[in-house]
Amino acid sequence: MAENFLEIKDLVIEYTSDESVVHAVNGVSLSLKKGQTLGLVGETGAGKTTIAKSIMRILPDPPSRFVGGTITVDGTDIMSLHEREMLKIRGNKIAMIFQDPMTALNPLMPVGKQILEVVQLHNDFSYKEAVQHTCNMLEMVGIPAVRSVEYPHQFSGGMKQRIVIAMALACNPELLLADEPTTALDVTVQAQVLEMIKDLQKKLDTSMLLITHDLGVVAETCDEVAVIYAGQIMECGSKEDLFLRTAHPYTLGLFGSLPKLDDDSKRLSPIKGLPPDPTKEIVGCAFAPRCPRADEACRKCSIELTELSPGHLVRCIHSGKEES
Amino acid sequence: MWKYVLKRLFWLIIISICVAILIFSIMWFVPGDPAQIMLAGTGTQAEIDALRDRLGLSDPYLVQLGRFLYNAFIRFDLGDSYVYKVPVIVELGHRFPRTLILGLLTMIISSGIGIPLGINAAMNRNKFQDQGVLVFSMIFISVPQFWIALEMMILFAVKLRWLPTSGIDSWKCWIMPVLSGALSGIAMNARQSRSAVLETIRADFVTTARAKGVREQKVIYKHMLPNALMPIINGLGNTVCTMVSGSVIIETVFAFPGVGTYMMSAIGGRDYPVVRGCVLMLAIFAAVVNLIVDLIYGYLDPRIKAQYVNYGSRGAGRKGASA
Amino acid sequence: MNEQAVVSDAAAKARKRKKSMFVQTVKRLVKNKVSLIGFIILFIIILAVILADVLAPCDPEYMDYGAIHALPSAAHPFGTDNLGRDILSRLLVGGRYSLSLGFICAFVSLFVGVFFGNLVGYLGGRVDMVVMRLCDIFGAIPGQLLAIVISTALGSGFINTILAMTVGGFPNAIRGNRALALKEREMEYLEAARAMNCSKMKIVFKHMMPNTIPIQIVGTTMSIGHAIIGAAGLSFIGLGIQLPTPEWGAILSGSRKYVMDYPHEMLFPGLAILITVLAINMIGDGLRDALDPKLKN
Repeated sequence: MAENFLEIKDLVIEYTSDESVVHAVNGVSLSLKKGQTLGLVGETGAGKTTIAKSIMRILPDPPSRFVGGTITVDGTDIMSLHEREMLKIRGNKIAMIFQDPMTALNPLMPVGKQILEVVQLHNDFSYKEAVQHTCNMLEMVGIPAVRSVEYPHQFSGGMKQRIVIAMALACNPELLLADEPTTALDVTVQAQVLEMIKDLQKKLDTSMLLITHDLGVVAETCDEVAVIYAGQIMECGSKEDLFLRTAHPYTLGLFGSLPKLDDDSKRLSPIKGLPPDPTKEIVGCAFAPRCPRADEACRKCSIELTELSPGHLVRCIHSGKEES
Repeated sequence: MWKYVLKRLFWLIIISICVAILIFSIMWFVPGDPAQIMLAGTGTQAEIDALRDRLGLSDPYLVQLGRFLYNAFIRFDLGDSYVYKVPVIVELGHRFPRTLILGLLTMIISSGIGIPLGINAAMNRNKFQDQGVLVFSMIFISVPQFWIALEMMILFAVKLRWLPTSGIDSWKCWIMPVLSGALSGIAMNARQSRSAVLETIRADFVTTARAKGVREQKVIYKHMLPNALMPIINGLGNTVCTMVSGSVIIETVFAFPGVGTYMMSAIGGRDYPVVRGCVLMLAIFAAVVNLIVDLIYGYLDPRIKAQYVNYGSRGAGRKGASA
Repeated sequence: MNEQAVVSDAAAKARKRKKSMFVQTVKRLVKNKVSLIGFIILFIIILAVILADVLAPCDPEYMDYGAIHALPSAAHPFGTDNLGRDILSRLLVGGRYSLSLGFICAFVSLFVGVFFGNLVGYLGGRVDMVVMRLCDIFGAIPGQLLAIVISTALGSGFINTILAMTVGGFPNAIRGNRALALKEREMEYLEAARAMNCSKMKIVFKHMMPNTIPIQIVGTTMSIGHAIIGAAGLSFIGLGIQLPTPEWGAILSGSRKYVMDYPHEMLFPGLAILITVLAINMIGDGLRDALDPKLKN
């Protein structure tokens, strides 16, 4: 227990709209050790961002609702904390990098000031020290400190993302939630940004929850991986477990959707169909309608995560047998 | 920045001259002969012709236009009223400040109450405050200002006898003219600011600010509201235009001795110099207010400012990035 | 044969998709109680105005000298005016003028705005500059004020009022449409059209215009209400449509003299405008929510 820095147990989150209830997260359990990186992989709408935001407790309350489960960070139960204490944790102990750098920065505030804001909130620096620290952070992500007085619209997308990263790392967070930090960027910039995040993470000994749908990014950065589908974990384990001993058909499908250079086959083998309607209660395996291996049993009873090997969990009744 | 302001001022003058030409040309087509109306049917044809010559009404279009422009923009003389024989500019000097104060009061009240109402409504989405503001603003954007003015007059002046029906002798006289314009102004402002806040309330940078551990109140005042206020400030220019036109009708209802009543009485009497002078005055006023609003907007929003001020090589090339 | 089937199948699917979007919007509209109420009220008003000849209790022009300035009663539900004419009947008949003025002004504005805005926005260059400068000049005079001046020049009457109102509003309409067109111009489907060597006119009117019009449904709906109020305002100050034509603003203008003694003559025409415009604005609001669900939740 103590060794896991982040521990999520049976997290359930729902969104309520006009009449329907969207089951965004259905009993997700995750754990992350100090200094390590956990990759959260899944399609759009699978509930990845919701998990990250619920760790920060910044989900907007009226539509979304925390139904059950626990989130423990460094031994403290996040969900039971008072909002006042939560303020001290946000941006300080836990920080988040957002998906779209274009909209994540306040367009009316110089970028330096936006970083300064978080620095001053969580440190007892004098104004001068805080400004110095801000400049250091900017330099660290490769932006000249003189540009701190400029506004977001004066930066390119990649630079904005660096600023967002500088902002997230400004208070040496112990846990970094990176929500698709590279999706909105060009491929060349992606690599730079990823490299930078990894370096900084190592330097500061930060644990990171990396949300992505890019398996390449996972292969490069993560230690552990969790594949999430329709708000449920389908498979999780070490990177090697997942990449080399893939057990769940959905994970296999994700790999099948990637083009390979060494493969002779002319076509990709994408997963057919669409994710299930999240407003409906799921009976049986959530992936069954799209699964090539699905049979009657899959559609009827709910399927639990089972341990294949230590640390390698799979939510599939067929995964024990060798098929494929 | 100064270069930009100078450029805009130059444009303002050009536009004013064009507006003057436009008004002159429109009035040219007004049916009815002022000389005839002035003599009220009692004069002989010879007398009418003499008067037409004296007023310069027999000259060709271009000559009259040239004379009007020369007098208006070089000598600041808008001509004499045919009916009252008083220089229009003198009369406007008396009346315009009143209209200006009426307009400013209306605007201050309508934004001072309307914008906070709208913000409050958006923050308390779907709650009682929101519904109340929605219903209120829905009704008051659907109602003609002059009808509110008249109904208020019936209630406060005739039935309750609290307020005078017309004039400007005491401060009480101002209440109804200001209020009848302000009610729909409040409604408009409230609706606009409500939707502006709703647009920003879910903006990503607001979430970013929350994720930094900023207190909710500070998130609202430092990050959300400034951004939400931008389109509202930008809309103020429009509000002023609406109010200027609205004031013409409201002034006639309350017999408020401003530019509006002056203009309306002149329209009836074919008193061309007065009509031209009033419209020109109001148009220039609206243009100046719009210019001021634009400059304030540009000053507050760095994205717009960047287009005014040449930032040099760095800022200029990235205009597209923010779009 | 087979190919044809595939194509018609695809076309049918596309139609179905379009239809389902339309159906969805209508469904959302109906679900939105506010707009539903608006629709019902407006429907009743339009019906009443169309059937005015049947519904009106009296001839709107009949002067009952025995009942001058009569208060509301069974015979005259809204009372009578200074000539003893039944106000309800006059409102019903006058609604034809007010409503058609509102609708015509809004649609003429929309048409002028869409036509010139798109053309100018797409063509750009010198045409754009000239039209925009013209808009600047006309737009420098606040809309209603310009309408007053033009109405003075043209004299009163139905067509003249429409002209005055639309000229007063067109600078804004063209500007707004041009801004939309400028955004639309960068879209890729127009790039594709250009690549296919479409003529400029065809691009503007066949490809661009259909895509910019739906954005303005809400604005146009709201502007019907504005136009009704604006036209009433013009009539009220003695321009626009004049008595004896029973346009609502004109009725208000006529009863203004007696406001001290017979306030009911003022009340009902005003309420008629209020309720009509309110209904239209309610529909507009509902449309906005239905078309832009993002704003709703």
